[in-house]
Amino acid sequence: MLWTVTSTLLTGFGTTLKLFFLTLLFALPLGLVISFGSMSKFSPLRYLTQTFVWIIRGSPLLLQILIIFYGPGLLFHLPLLPRFTAALLSFVINYACYFSEIYRGGIQAVPRGQYEAGQVLGMTPGQIFFRITLLQVIKRIIPPMGNELITLVKDTALVRVIGVYEIIWTGESFTKKGLIWPLFYTGLFYLIFNGGLTILFRKMEAKLDYFK
Amino acid sequence: MKKKFLALLLVCGLVLTLAACGGAPAETGGNDSASGNAETQTPDDTATPDDAATPDDTATPDDAATPDDTAAPDDTAMLSGADDASDTAYVQDKGTLVIGITDFAPMDYKSDAGEWIGFDADMAKAFADSLGVKPEFIEINWDNKLMELETKAIDVVWNGMTITDEVKEGASVPDAYCRNGQVVVVPAAMADAYTTVESLKDLSFAVENGSAGAEQLDLLGIPYTALDTQARALMEVASGASDACVIDLLMAGAMIGEGTSYPDLTHTLQLNSEEYGVAFRKGSDLVDVFNQFWADASAQGTVMETATMYGVQESVIVK
Repeated sequence: MLWTVTSTLLTGFGTTLKLFFLTLLFALPLGLVISFGSMSKFSPLRYLTQTFVWIIRGSPLLLQILIIFYGPGLLFHLPLLPRFTAALLSFVINYACYFSEIYRGGIQAVPRGQYEAGQVLGMTPGQIFFRITLLQVIKRIIPPMGNELITLVKDTALVRVIGVYEIIWTGESFTKKGLIWPLFYTGLFYLIFNGGLTILFRKMEAKLDYFK
Repeated sequence: MKKKFLALLLVCGLVLTLAACGGAPAETGGNDSASGNAETQTPDDTATPDDAATPDDTATPDDAATPDDTAAPDDTAMLSGADDASDTAYVQDKGTLVIGITDFAPMDYKSDAGEWIGFDADMAKAFADSLGVKPEFIEINWDNKLMELETKAIDVVWNGMTITDEVKEGASVPDAYCRNGQVVVVPAAMADAYTTVESLKDLSFAVENGSAGAEQLDLLGIPYTALDTQARALMEVASGASDACVIDLLMAGAMIGEGTSYPDLTHTLQLNSEEYGVAFRKGSDLVDVFNQFWADASAQGTVMETATMYGVQESVIVK
């Protein structure tokens, strides 16, 4: 019994993990692009990006998932995206906005004097970013990133609202057969995975601790 | 040295993710060349037109006609919505009937082999057969069923759905195929004390959000806790979080009492009687097709036979 339930839950957790890793793959770089947008010296772009970030961070992810999946069909009679794709798209957009603010914090925390020093040495802005700023940014953003990633793992449970069968959905389907414990057993999967993430982030933090 | 290496690795990782982002156009390039491949394949197909065309034309001229039809109505359906196009033609053109369900024994549930079975599932398969298309079952979030229909995410809701005014407004519903009612479920020890509508006011209730049971409680003016499934409402009563719940009679028959996971629960008062129906898109011509199908299946005895198999023979409506 335990084995049947575990293997069924694992298929659901597979979807959860797929959503998690694909979101990271696309949202991490997209977040950097958005953060450049919100720090741009060209003010229309800056205001546009900041408004976008405000809308995405200011409204519930649950609503965004519903709008991205049902919106095209309801508003324009267009064919819908596949369920998983719609879920992934809403997660990538949502998390890229959160990541962008973390990047921005990390980038702006690097003292101005270092840019100037780079300029004095005749480095291009690209060289200054990649050779001086980036590694310091990575070190600074690791703790808030760890926080955000753990939230992301748990937020994936929201996609069951459009019928993507992640682990909570799988666990809940057992309650319809009168089996209650699998729903709570799903918590263990999250705990173990997030435990792994926590350890990983501690290690990365320790490794980068050699410079201030 | 080791640390420097790791730092370098991390930078590489970040640069790579950047590259992945910039790589998007490159991917589209890949797609272009893929479609280029597809194009080069087409001549290959046409290179042997005799092989491809002849069997179709000779064996089933109807089939040969269908792909021609497919191209045209599909395009128009995409542009103008389903309003003027025939829904039956739309379903037959794409070759699958997408059936929106939830896990709801004995109507739709999974066999040990992982296949969808149940009274509704089996009849839905027969209906898809009669249309000459493949049935495809999709578990949906029940709150979104009308939206799923309207956006063509599914073609029909076939899941022991109570026919309510709300459903009739948002979808097209053929004749009812099953009778049902909403019943009050309480712990067996409390059953004797709560047999009248008046006595219910002392109880705390749990009910599925937006269900027919919730509607009955609204009519009686009794407050309740709304949950996302009927099974969750049962769990409330079993755990003592609520005193009672209101669920479908058919479900109560299958899920509570001796020999089930809820042996200490029983159902007392029936609050109403109602009917089950399927729902198609608003204005769909599948409504008439369904009514004809149900009449035929009743005449052939398929309806009764399937109903007996799943223990709903007393509730089913035979035409």
